[in-house]
Amino acid sequence: MSTQIISVLVEDEAGSLTRMSGMFSRRGINIHSLTVSPSEKEGMSRMTIVTTGDEREIEKVEKQLNKLIEVVKVNILDKNTSVVRDLCLLKVYADKENRAEVIEIANAFKSNIVDISIRTITLEITADPLDIDRFVETMKNFGIKELFRTGVTAISRDVEKKSGG
Amino acid sequence: MNEGLKGTEIVVKCLKEEKVKHLFGFPGGQLIPLYDQLYEETDIRSILVRHEQGAAHAADGYARASGDPGVCMATSGPGATNLITGLLNATMDSIPVVAFTAQVPTKAIGTDAFQEADTFGITMPITKHNFLVKSTDTLSWTIKGAFKIANTGRKGAVVIDLPNDVQQKRSKEYHHGEVKFAGYNPSIVPNPLQLKRIAQKLVEAERPLILAGGGVILANATEDLRILAEYLGAGVATTLMGKGAIPENHPLSLGMVGMHGRLGANKMINNCDVLLVIGCRFSDRTTGWGLESFAPDAIKIHCDIDSSELNKNIPVDFPLVGDANLVIRDLIKFIKKYEDVKKDTNIWRKRVNQLHSMCEECETVKPNGSKLTPEIIIKTINNFLDDNAIVTTEVGQNQMFAAHYYITKKPRQFISSGGLGTMGFGFPAAIGAKVAKPESQVLDIAGDGSFLMVCQELATAMSEDIPVVVAVLNNSFLGMVRQWQELFWDKRYAGTKLGTIPDFVKLAESFGAYGERVEKASDIEKALKNAFDSGIVSVLDFKIESETNILPMIPPGGRVDEMIGVGRCRHK
Ligand SMILES: Cc1ncc(C[n+]2csc(CCOP(=O)(O)OP(=O)(O)O)c2C)c(N)n1
Ligand SMILES: [Mg+2]
Repeated sequence: MSTQIISVLVEDEAGSLTRMSGMFSRRGINIHSLTVSPSEKEGMSRMTIVTTGDEREIEKVEKQLNKLIEVVKVNILDKNTSVVRDLCLLKVYADKENRAEVIEIANAFKSNIVDISIRTITLEITADPLDIDRFVETMKNFGIKELFRTGVTAISRDVEKKSGG
Repeated sequence: MNEGLKGTEIVVKCLKEEKVKHLFGFPGGQLIPLYDQLYEETDIRSILVRHEQGAAHAADGYARASGDPGVCMATSGPGATNLITGLLNATMDSIPVVAFTAQVPTKAIGTDAFQEADTFGITMPITKHNFLVKSTDTLSWTIKGAFKIANTGRKGAVVIDLPNDVQQKRSKEYHHGEVKFAGYNPSIVPNPLQLKRIAQKLVEAERPLILAGGGVILANATEDLRILAEYLGAGVATTLMGKGAIPENHPLSLGMVGMHGRLGANKMINNCDVLLVIGCRFSDRTTGWGLESFAPDAIKIHCDIDSSELNKNIPVDFPLVGDANLVIRDLIKFIKKYEDVKKDTNIWRKRVNQLHSMCEECETVKPNGSKLTPEIIIKTINNFLDDNAIVTTEVGQNQMFAAHYYITKKPRQFISSGGLGTMGFGFPAAIGAKVAKPESQVLDIAGDGSFLMVCQELATAMSEDIPVVVAVLNNSFLGMVRQWQELFWDKRYAGTKLGTIPDFVKLAESFGAYGERVEKASDIEKALKNAFDSGIVSVLDFKIESETNILPMIPPGGRVDEMIGVGRCRHK
């Protein structure tokens, strides 16, 4: 069982999101995260779905997705050759005493401070989801007040062909 | 505002372009506009059912008998929800059905208006596809797209939800020509390389076996299947849905496999060295359980139009995506090239014949005095009906007796609810089949429990003059469930005793239909003759023993070669 990222190009029709997510629940497949956004093609959206499963299970998911009328293309993204990003907004407890320490750690993770109040700091980080997991773990030490994550979006890298010599 | 066609005019125009001649439906407030449009229509016959489930099943039966999509319609809310069972039934068996459901006006959607139901949401997981039409401008495109989706690729039910105002407004938009969907390309040419490999395996096989599913019938590929089987000397077993894919009186036909299949056919699955499966989705009713023991030693080849079925339930050695029609035609072409390397399949042929005749022998039930048994009833039906007759079934023991004993000689003449196993399917499906094939005798082999679920359609058959015959195998029980209780639940008959209510003869007569009770084997033929001669819908009430079982069977959890109740099978 491993995490898989599936990228789906779908026609913008009323109900296509329900149809997609319905297929997952009907076939008993868990969705970790699902993001929907416009794509480069007019009238089409891109959905990025993170799920777990072995090769055979993911092949089944791919076939079932392809069966949906609105689905135009399904890509199983290879994590080694893709850029994977998640955005996290996190409100952590920080007062006079430990504010400096929180900021120091935030900087180390390359996260931005987007708001400060007397008792909290709100941080923003865009990174690989595993890095965000580590960031969140660390921040738990200070006490997390609120946490928002957008879910994963991903794009494949263009592999440059080496010119022959 | 007065320009263009009214929504309902668009519907009718599209229906005519799709060559639809019959509609099964039931009206209601939001559907009045469409009904009104059809009122004076002479090219399209609108058949009023007495319950929307009947409309969906009738459309389904129509499609199975004719090969053309069946069409049904229902009003919003309860009308639409009453269609649900029928729509899923069609989708699970890959039958092309297009359903029009009325909806509250677009402005009222989401307000919990009177008779509003989220039909689009409810039917999404039970159809091949569905549409909610929000503007009359897109109506013609939607209807043409719906027919295309329902009737191409792996077929299925498609719902078009039609708000009242969309039916009534006018539009100048009319889509001409074919509708294209970016993500839908149903015509798949089978991969020639894979075909060649498969052909080679088949030619090399010593003990080839073909398992044909409903896909062979849906693709109209039965004639070629017979030719292929004869070339290979391969036995042909079928699933329930595949009954009729090969004439069941053909020497290579082994009959049905699976839970209630023939012992011989099930044994062959685990005897063959190459198993060619076409147009079949390996349902658990076909494979039994313990999937690793399904044809364990055979090289498995699986051809299906739906790629998601390949390697879904049973991992195979050679998957191939393609329409059964093209696959079989191409296989014959490839195999012809191997003519000279043809192996001696005589020994295998003999074995096929032997296994075939072994079941034949068992199934040639001699009349046991005047006792009325399901075997005798169905054998008599076999002899009575002509070669073009269509038999439908309900669900339960009646269905399995029919599958077991009714000899189907041609495709589209055995109509039964496979995937969903819907009690109450057979009678409305028979009505639909008779509408499609008015010249054919149509008979529903029914159970008392199933028939009672849809007996109101006697009114439809009477008032629309659709003379089908219902043969009720009346065991006063929900027999199949009772059989499981007898065999696996200590004979605790909880909730399965129906008793002798109603009097089916009087029930029929109250509708003006023909009814007759049969209690002796010697009266079966006369009763059948009376029913068909009556020229009206008829109910024959065959009083059979309560505790007869349909055997042998694979018990729940059992493997394909582990049938129980083989006591009377002489060649185990
Ligand atoms: C709509 C529906 N409800 C329940 C069942 C479960 N079921 C399967 S067979 C059966 C008994 C059918 O009884 P009957 O029609 O009398 O046929 P018999 O088995 O007695 O021949 C039942 C209840 C079903 N298949 N369909
Ligand atoms: Mg019964």
